[in-house]
Amino acid sequence: MSDGREKSYVLFPMGEKRFALPAEVVAELARPDHLQRFPHRTPMLAGVLVRRGRIVPVCDVAQILLGPDAPPRKFFLIANCQVGSSQEWTAIPVTGECELASLEPARVVEGAPAYVTGSVTAGAETVAVVDLEKLLAMETSQPNAPTPGASQSQLADTGQAGSPDPGTLETPR
Amino acid sequence: MRKQRAVAAPPPRAQEGVILFTVAGYKFAIAAGAVKEIRGMEGLHPFRLGGISARIDKLKYTMERDGTTYFVVDAGTHFCLPVSPPSRVLVLRNSPTAVLVDSTDRMTEISALHALPRAFTCDEREWYRGLAVVGGEVVPVVNPGAFLSKNEQEILNAGLERLGGVAVG
Repeated sequence: MSDGREKSYVLFPMGEKRFALPAEVVAELARPDHLQRFPHRTPMLAGVLVRRGRIVPVCDVAQILLGPDAPPRKFFLIANCQVGSSQEWTAIPVTGECELASLEPARVVEGAPAYVTGSVTAGAETVAVVDLEKLLAMETSQPNAPTPGASQSQLADTGQAGSPDPGTLETPR
Repeated sequence: MRKQRAVAAPPPRAQEGVILFTVAGYKFAIAAGAVKEIRGMEGLHPFRLGGISARIDKLKYTMERDGTTYFVVDAGTHFCLPVSPPSRVLVLRNSPTAVLVDSTDRMTEISALHALPRAFTCDEREWYRGLAVVGGEVVPVVNPGAFLSKNEQEILNAGLERLGGVAVG
């Protein structure tokens, strides 16, 4: 039963872990699509997708969340992201299908990375809630960015258990 | 899940003629109006000028055309791409610049120029005017003025003046 504190989150798998985004920032979960590449020098941008007439940058955050050994990404989670003074769609490659769930937010674990703004509990699993803007900012502030190994360790401190089957996109519970 | 905030409006519709060209396997577009001539590699003179060659390593050749000295920029080096064999030279209009490319494809029209997403924050913001979709493929539309920037032209001018050479721009 909800006590009124529950909020909607999209839980997305990244390898053996899951992370959460507030549902209100998520625009779409896209099937594997044609990632298009062109020369550029911005770290971690993998290319762009064309979705509904828009050109959507694809930011591969797996290197921050998991390190260099992240498994292949299969889907694109498209979210609204504040970039400068405007909102822009940004696609994040994820390793499996996502889940939409109403969950009670909890405070961020001390020592968590700056992009972790809280946590939610889904069954026996504690999932870190990430702030997409802060996560994307990590790519341009490398001196503050943790090494992949450090990132993995810090995320482990949030208490995430191994990923269960993420299942398919579900309606709110 | 489907709730959406306001996002940037679609780009305005306008027809623009572009020339498609290829460098190191990547396709690019340049405004047709920015190109004065497309020619082969004949008549290029290697550009070797001590410190300038080192500071502007993408500047590979010069060529003379109608009494004007053009500075020939290697597009692969400009876009930080692997070495590839150029075969065509795009001579730019209103600029003493020409661009070495692997091949030219065709001239076509684009109906919209999409702004480069703000997530792109590095040199590409200078390299490109925006992005176009050509036959379902996203193609960057290059900024012709970026091949030899004002700063690079000043470096060239200073170096050439020291040698009593020609002025640029």
